[in-house]
This record gives sequence, C-alpha cells and structure tokens, in this order.
Amino acid sequence: MKRSTMLAGLLLSGSLALTACSGNAAGADKTSAGPGGQAATGGTVQVLANAGFSHLDPVRGFDGGVNNFYRLIYRTLTTQGAAPGADGTKIVPDLATDTGKPSDGGKTWTFTLKDGVAFETGAPITSADVKFAVSRAWDPEIGIGSPYAKQIIAAPASYQGPYKSGEMPTIETPDAKTVVFHLKKPYADFGSVVAQNTFVPVPKGTGAGTELDSKPIASGPYKVSAYKPGASLKLVRNDKWDAKTDSIRAAKPDGFQWTFGLDPATIDERMIAGQGTDANAIAGTIQAASVARIQTPQLKQRTLSGLGGCTTYMGLNSTKKPLNDVRVRQAINFAVNKQTVRDAVGGSTLADLATSIQPPTIVGRADYDPYPSPDGKGDVEAARKLLTEAGQAGGFTMTLDTRAQPKMQAMAVAIQQALQPLKIAVKINIIDTSTYYEVIGTPSQQHDAAITGWCPDWPSGATFLPPLFDGRNITAKGNSNLSQLNDPGVNKTIDEIAALKDVTAANAAYGELDKQIMKLAPMVPLLYEKVLMVVGSNIAGAYLHDGFSGGIDLVSVGLTDAGK
Amino acid sequence: MTRYVIGRLGGVVVILLAVCLFTYLIFFKLSPDPAVMICGKTCTPDRIDSIRTVLGLNQPLLTQFWEFLQGIVAGRDYGTAHCSAPCLGYSFQTNESVWTMITARLPVSITVAVGAAILWLLAGVAGGLISAVRQGTWWDRSAMALALTGVSVPNYVLALVLQYLLVVKLQVLPFPSAPAFSDNPGLWFESYLMPWTVLAIGYACLYARLTRANVIDTLAENFVRTARAKGLQRSLILRRHALRPALTPITTIFGMDFAGLLGGALITETVFGLNGIGKLAADSIAKNDQPVIMAVTLLAAFFVVIGNVVVDLVYTALDPRVRITSA
Amino acid sequence: MSTTPTLLEVEEVGAAAGGPPTSTQRILTRLVHDKAAVLCLAFLLIVVLMAAFAPLITKLSGWGPYEFDSSAINSALGGVPNGSLGGISGEHWFGVEPQNGRDLFARIVYGARVSITIAISATVLTGILGVVLGMLAGFYRGWVDQLISRVMDFLMAFPALIFMIAILSSLPAGNRPVLLVVVISAFGWPYLARVIRGQTMTLANREFVEAARASGAKNLALVFREILPNLRSSIIVMSTLAVPGYIGTEAGLSFLGVGVTPPTASWGQMISSSVSWYSVDPMFFAIPGAFLFLTVLSLTVLGDKIRSVIDAGEAA
Repeated sequence: MKRSTMLAGLLLSGSLALTACSGNAAGADKTSAGPGGQAATGGTVQVLANAGFSHLDPVRGFDGGVNNFYRLIYRTLTTQGAAPGADGTKIVPDLATDTGKPSDGGKTWTFTLKDGVAFETGAPITSADVKFAVSRAWDPEIGIGSPYAKQIIAAPASYQGPYKSGEMPTIETPDAKTVVFHLKKPYADFGSVVAQNTFVPVPKGTGAGTELDSKPIASGPYKVSAYKPGASLKLVRNDKWDAKTDSIRAAKPDGFQWTFGLDPATIDERMIAGQGTDANAIAGTIQAASVARIQTPQLKQRTLSGLGGCTTYMGLNSTKKPLNDVRVRQAINFAVNKQTVRDAVGGSTLADLATSIQPPTIVGRADYDPYPSPDGKGDVEAARKLLTEAGQAGGFTMTLDTRAQPKMQAMAVAIQQALQPLKIAVKINIIDTSTYYEVIGTPSQQHDAAITGWCPDWPSGATFLPPLFDGRNITAKGNSNLSQLNDPGVNKTIDEIAALKDVTAANAAYGELDKQIMKLAPMVPLLYEKVLMVVGSNIAGAYLHDGFSGGIDLVSVGLTDAGK
Repeated sequence: MTRYVIGRLGGVVVILLAVCLFTYLIFFKLSPDPAVMICGKTCTPDRIDSIRTVLGLNQPLLTQFWEFLQGIVAGRDYGTAHCSAPCLGYSFQTNESVWTMITARLPVSITVAVGAAILWLLAGVAGGLISAVRQGTWWDRSAMALALTGVSVPNYVLALVLQYLLVVKLQVLPFPSAPAFSDNPGLWFESYLMPWTVLAIGYACLYARLTRANVIDTLAENFVRTARAKGLQRSLILRRHALRPALTPITTIFGMDFAGLLGGALITETVFGLNGIGKLAADSIAKNDQPVIMAVTLLAAFFVVIGNVVVDLVYTALDPRVRITSA
Repeated sequence: MSTTPTLLEVEEVGAAAGGPPTSTQRILTRLVHDKAAVLCLAFLLIVVLMAAFAPLITKLSGWGPYEFDSSAINSALGGVPNGSLGGISGEHWFGVEPQNGRDLFARIVYGARVSITIAISATVLTGILGVVLGMLAGFYRGWVDQLISRVMDFLMAFPALIFMIAILSSLPAGNRPVLLVVVISAFGWPYLARVIRGQTMTLANREFVEAARASGAKNLALVFREILPNLRSSIIVMSTLAVPGYIGTEAGLSFLGVGVTPPTASWGQMISSSVSWYSVDPMFFAIPGAFLFLTVLSLTVLGDKIRSVIDAGEAA
C-alpha cells in the first residue's frame, strides 16, 4: 500500500535494491576510509534533507522517509537485516527471540520478547506494551500508517483503538514476555508483517492524540533530544538501550543531527563541497543537474548508487474509450520512448528502463520485455499496426494526469512527444501535489492516464501486484488500481497465490502473474529509478539498504574519524 | 491628532477584515476539501467526518469565518485541544501551530528586510544626491544609466547570476543558509550578504533616481533661489534647506517598500532557500496548506496597512505643509 | 515583485504630468535622434518580429519548440547538453535544453510570443480599468469616489504576489495565459487609477472644463472630450513603463511554477527550469535571462525617454 515515496519527493526515500550496482562506492574496500570503511564509535552524523518527517508516531508514519529513521529510535518484533544486498531484506528477530511461531495452520502467531529490553524511561518493554501499541492501529485518527495489522489481525468490527474502545480482545498476553496474535485467515509471511512500524512498542496508556509526534518514546539506540518540525531533529544516545539485546543495530555514532527544509540544489552544493561538518553528512539522491559534477575520482569515491526498488509507471484507465481496447493500450506500450522519459528524470545514472511491473529488487521477479523496441526508444510501427487493427489509425485525444512538479511534468511531456507520431494528442493535466493521489485514486475524477509509482512494503510480489491489479480492490476513493482492471483470470491467479503456503513458490508465481497482467497492458512500466548519493568524506559504514527506499542504512552508518 | 490616528486604525481594521474575508472565501471555494487532504492515504469516510467536525468544516462558511476571527482575538478549541490567542489554527500538513511557524520564521524575514533596507537607503540616497549635485557630469550620466539597468533586472535573474559568480565560480561567499547570528557572526553576515544585495539593488536604483529628481526640483524652487541669492553656500543650502523637502517623499515610499518586505521577500527567500515568511508562503501554497496561506496573507497585508499609517504620520511630522492643511 | 519599483516610479512620474498633450509626432522625432532609444527600439522590433513570425523562423532554423533531440544530450551525465556552451552549434543556434534536447532558439522565439502577448494584454486591460475607474472616481467624487478608492486601498493592501500565486496554483489549469492576464490586471489597475483619479480631479476644476460644462455639455461628453485627451501623456508614459513590469511579473509567476503549463515555453518558465542547471550549463540560464533583461531594459529606457520628452514639452 505504499506509493513511491521517491516520487513523493521525500528525501532518503524510495525502496531500494542493490542488485545491479554494488551499492558501495567503487573500489572502496572494508578497511580503507570512505563510505564503505569501518565506522568508529562516537561523533555525530549530519543529515541534510529537504522535506521533514511526516510523523514521529510509528503508527502514523509510513513512508520511505520515516521507515529507515524509525529503526534508530524504535524497535519492532522482527526487523529487516542490516547488510547490503538480499541479506538486508531478510527478516530477523528484533525485540522478539525469533520470527514467530505459527500454529493453527498459520492463523495464530506467538512471539516471545527478549530479556533486558527497555524504553528510554527505563521501564521494561512488556507484551502489554506491544499489544497496546498494535491496537492503536485501529484508532481511526491515529492508525493512518501501515495498514497491514488492521488487514490481517482479527478484531471486532466496532473496535476503535485503546483510547476509545479499551483493550483489544484478540491479542493475548499470557505473561509479560509473550504476545499471541490471532489472524483473520492464515498468513504465511506474518513474520514480515510484525516488522512494520505498527509493531513498535508504546508504553501502555500513553500516546493519545499527537503526543508521540512531538515526543516519541524510544526503544532503540537513540532518543530524540530536540525536535523542531520542518527545521531540525537531534538524536542522542538512549542509555537504556542494551546493545547485547540487539544484533542488528551497530549504532556507532553518538548522535544524529537532521537539518530539514534545505533546498535540493543547496544540499547538492554542500555535499559536493563537503566543508566543515558537511564532511560528516549524508543526504538524499542528488539532482539530475549535479550528475555531471560528481564525475571526478574524489567524488566518485564518495558516491553510492543503487536501484530504488520502485516502479515508475503510467496507469492506463481501462474504463475509458478508446483505452478500453487492449490493443490500444498495447500500442501505447510499444510507442512510449522510455529513453526520453528516462532523460526527463536525469538519464541513465538516475534510472533504468522498466519493462515489467515488478522492479528487479522483488524476489522471484521475471526479467522480460513484453513490448520490446530498439533501446527502449519506442516501436512506432508496431504501435501503428495495433492501432489500425483497433480502428484508431486516425488517432485520438487522451488526458494524462501528472503532478505539479518539474520532474513529473517533464516525464509527461516526453510521453506526449512520443505519442504524437501516432496522432494521439496527449493533454497534460497538472494536478496540485497535495491532492494528486486523492484525485487519481478517485475513479470518478481520474482521467485516461496518470503517471505515478509504486514501492513494495517488503520485497515480495504480495505487496506489489494484488494492491495494483486485484479488480475487487477498486474503491470509490483511495483506489490504487488506476487502470481499474478487473480481469477474472488475474483475480483467480491472485487468490491461488495467496493460498500458497510456501513463500518461495509464491514469489515465483508472482513473477508469472506479472506476465499475465502485462498481456492486458493496464499500465506502461516506465522506469526503475535509482538512488545516487554523495556522502561526506568522513562517512563510514554506509551502504544502501534494500528495504529502505534507497536510503543509507542509518543503523550502520557512522564516521571514519569520530573526533572530526 | 488622536482622533485622526484612531480613525486611521479603524480603517486598518476594516481593510484587514476585508482581506481576511476575501482570502477565506477564495480558498474556501477553490481549494480541495482539507479534511480529505489531512486524512491521508488510508482514509475512511468516518475519519473524514470526524476531521470535519474537529475543524468545524461542517458549519456554514460565515460561522467558520467568525470562529477563525475569534481564534485570533480570544483563542479557540479544536476538539479536545485548546489553541490560545492569537490562534491562527494548525497547519494541515505538519499539525504545527501556525502562530509558532510564523514567529519562528519572522526573524529571518526581518533580517533580510532590515539589511536590504539599510543597503538600499545608503546606496540609493547617496547615489541620487551626488548625481543631483553633479547634474550632467559623467558621474551623473553613468550613475543614472546604471540605475535604469538595475531597475530592469528581475531579481531572480540577478540572484542566480550573483550566486553563479560569487558562490560557484569565485567561491568568495558560502551558500546562503540563514545561520543564527549568535552561532557565527561572520558566517551570518556572509550568508545574508547576497540576499540583501539582490533585494537592495532594485530599490537602490529606484531611490537614486527619485532622490536625484527630487533634489533637482527642490534646488530649482524659489526659496532655494532666495537663499542662494542671499549668498549662502551651496553645501549649506543643500543641508539646511533642500534635503528635507527632497527626502520627504522618499520616506513615504520607503515605508511602503519596507513594510511590503516584512511580509516576506517571496522570490529572494525562495531562490536562496532562506526559511522566512516568503518561503513559508511559497511552500504552503505548493502544499495547499490553507491555514498557513491565510496567515501569511494576513500578516503581509497587516504590515502593508500598518506601514501606510506610519508613513502618513511620519509624513505629517516631516512636512509642515501637510500639518497645516490637516489641522 | 519586479513590478513594484516600476509602478511606484510611474506614480511619481504621473503626478507631474497632466499638462497639455505632447504630439506623438514630436515624441517620435525626438526618440529617433536618441542613440540609446534607437538601440532599444531596434531590439524590441527584433523581439516583436520574432514573436510574430515564430513558426516561420523555426521552420528556417530546423527545430520546433517541442521537438526532443536525444542525440544532443548526454544521458549518462544526467542529460547535460553535448558540446560546450550548452550545445551551441550550427544545428542548435542557442544550444539545447538539458534532459530533453529541445532547441533553445525555438523556445526563445515561441517564448517571446507568450511573454509579449501576456504583457501587452495585461497592459491594455489595466489601462482600460485604471483609466475608466480612475476618471469615474475623480470626476464624480462623492460615493463613487469613496467606493472606488476603498476598493483600490483594499487591492493595494493585498500581498499581490502571494495572492496571485495562491490563486493560480489552486485554479484548474484551463487557459493559463488568460488567467495570468486577468490576475495580473486585477492587482495592477489601482496604481494607474490612483494617478488618473488625482489628475481628473485637478482637470475637472480647470477653466476649460468649467467652460464646456457651462455651455451645456453632458457629463459623459465632458469626461471623454475634455478630460481624457488631457490624460494622454500620463497614460502613454505609464503604459510604456507598465509593459516591462508585466513582462517581469509573468516571468516571475512562471518562475515560481504557476505560469504557463508545459510544454508551452515562456522566458520565465525557461529561467525557472534552468535554476538547478546554472552551475553545469550556465548558457541555459544566460540566454533566456539575457532576453528577459534586455527586453525589460529596452522598454524601461524607452519609457524613460518618452517621459523626458513629454516633461520637456511641458516645461517649454
């Protein structure tokens, strides 16, 4: 249920994967200085950012911008690994002693908390705190973040969270260390679900209203010492966190200092210059205009790059004429010049051309191109043939929704140009950034096509294909199935995969489902955008984490020389 | 005099109310439903309803407007939370109190405006004076040509040219970043130097032209001729007699310009990434954050209207002729 | 913001005018003998011709304003133009836009159309509004004056730039150029109207108007036959100085992202997209920046010259 946060313009965002590139600076080995080197203990890591955090309350926040950050101050029952590559997305125990014990055919899951885990207040973290925290997801005003707990865990229909409805009856806490979840139906991958932000413990009875947004209660290695929303955030060590209970978080630096509200161009300038405390700084993906400036060997040494783990695509509304004809949608798939679309976002260093719905970071994804063209520049002849078959040789007019943001508009213009030879006149409809998703997610308001993106919540087809293409998920508001595809064949396959007990088999099946869907051409996969970051010269232990939207894994990053 | 001031202040309140109402109406009509915007990704109709109730959006427009006004004067309650006066509501985007946002950013805008004003007053008035005294010389001609050029450069063009030359190419200045004065006075000055210059140049050129024209006009007037005929020295005439009448109109314009800037130098702050009121305005507009848009519009209008009143009062004090007619 | 200085200056200027009209003939003769004015006129002529014959010119230069040229940019380097000086070559006379390779010359030429059309339309609209309302207020006095003056106070107290952006960003795209003209004019007319009002008040008391009134002329005839011709000088001066102001405003609004919608080119929009590129590809910024600056400068100089001719005419 996560929209591409890279597209949402948040910094340190987008999911990411380091399949193609190593994710580490070229040539930097473990012992040398530089981003790949060993981090020393101490010092403060600076983070330069444009957008602030949406929420500090873990039940509210749910985007690439906060998920990575939350690991510094919060712990969950399980979490993703802390390593580059596929090890980073493996689910490992965090507060719990293991990744959960299923019973009742996968409908009941039991977790046991480790000994010695505590909040920043010194109070031990108990199963009651976990239960209380999870039940907050049902509060209509607070539970606006990760939707999985609410979708998967059984609860009375009238339950409205602990502040309104009291204790949640369906989560059991037989003792202070044990918590038992009862699910609506068997869920093989529930061990991944409890790594979601919703499973961050909150001391029982606290956190009403927006309390945690301004003063979070830490369970991780750091706590918030000063927070000015939209301006700055300072983290210091949480001395109640015991490293012995935590095999994931290296937590080398003594603190972190965020500066928000910086202009992206300013961030690039400062990162490239790297003067003063900026040597200890990390930031988000650089702008297209800065790519040409980081080509010196010194800067390349400080550069991290990898795939973002999201797919940027153009949804084609299959309920509108003439896009209701599959041949027209296929023709558009052939005709779009993905090279010019890629140049619009910053060229080959900032994106790969997309061919399938699922990005390469998804486990079990099949690499194929159903609508090939030389160098991805578009095959106008193949498109014309299909349009002629469909009786649309004379062309038509279609409206393309895009966000009021330069990069998105540039992509729209590139598509407009590519479709012009087919006499398809594309009208670009620019929608305000704040209401864009609302408009395109409302079937009565969306137009013929829209440019958007999707990131998986964990790298499996389960959080990619069903939310986008299950025809039974089409809703009057907040709809993610932009094409409004409701194909019985696709729906049937989705159900079949959901019933599979074996996660590996399910992932492979999603790869095939991708092909099945693309035959219907409900969307044009445009790009797999990449992350390209310059880090300060004193930064060490930095790698891009597969699970965190292309962000540098914050729990591992540190400084080469802590005294600087 | 007191009656006059009270009358003027009454006018101020009326204009501000009008600005307020107009802004409220326009954005109420134009903008998308704020409840839906706040509601976010996993939204339900129930949640929209509860947000609408908390924000009072389900009430008639005029009632809402009245509550907004009440909030400014006496504070108001949102659901369970109380927002004490002056209450401008909470940002739809960050949930922060709008009043806090404004007060946090006002110092930056004031720094920008005051620094620029000092620069342009000094440069503009001095340049204009010298030109007037040396009317027709090469100095006068080149200064006035320069002034015309300066008036014609759009300030964002100038900002980018300066940034390219001074920061990127010559690297004599740091990237503007609005550091606190107490942290590092040197860096503070260097950071603000470019924004000040960019803002000041347009005004300085205009003021130079006005000063020159006014001084020349005054010098040609009868009382100056009389003084000269009496054998008074040129410099003395200039100081004693010509300067005050020549500079009085400048005061008027200065008051207005300065007041306008206090409400945020939108383009300059945006270009240089300074977190002042102007940037807040631009950002809130981009995010459709209505309470913040309302607040910055109101604040800017407030400064302009108050500036107007102050200017009139100062003008009355400076120019004896006005005093006589108003008495 | 770029409008403010010019408009304020206009006020000061206008207040002095209002005397007998100077003949157009004489203004032109004087301008032709002024080197700076001739240079400005020549540059403006070029810009106007560019705007008028844009399709013809781009046919000659070979590239349309919307055509992509992927071969002119380097995709591996973020889409920076190939070659030095932003890709200036025989093929692309002014180089190309980064990230898509659109021809800058063609975009400058088409951009001139947008910028000039909007500025002139806004000037005409503010002119009509300002003159009519200003004359009404100045001639009828009383409640008409009260009403119009209060509306002017209200509009002038408005933070126009903030409001223009806010309105433009929340309005549906629709016909952007028309919206721009309407919004710019709505906040621009009071500055002209205020001057016109003051001068009308003075003129209405003059002997020749009294004489015409005594001889039984109707109000409407008085306003249009006796007063309007006497306002001509002020209107000319203020309009000449308003055009560059509006060009600047349009560019400023496009610069802030609420101007014309893509793929349409305007100078402000070009400068806006060049912002992030200025250190890598300074030409992308320099070319539209220079055109904008020179056009505004030419118009300002010209307005200044016209004003001094008129002033001299009165003094004589």
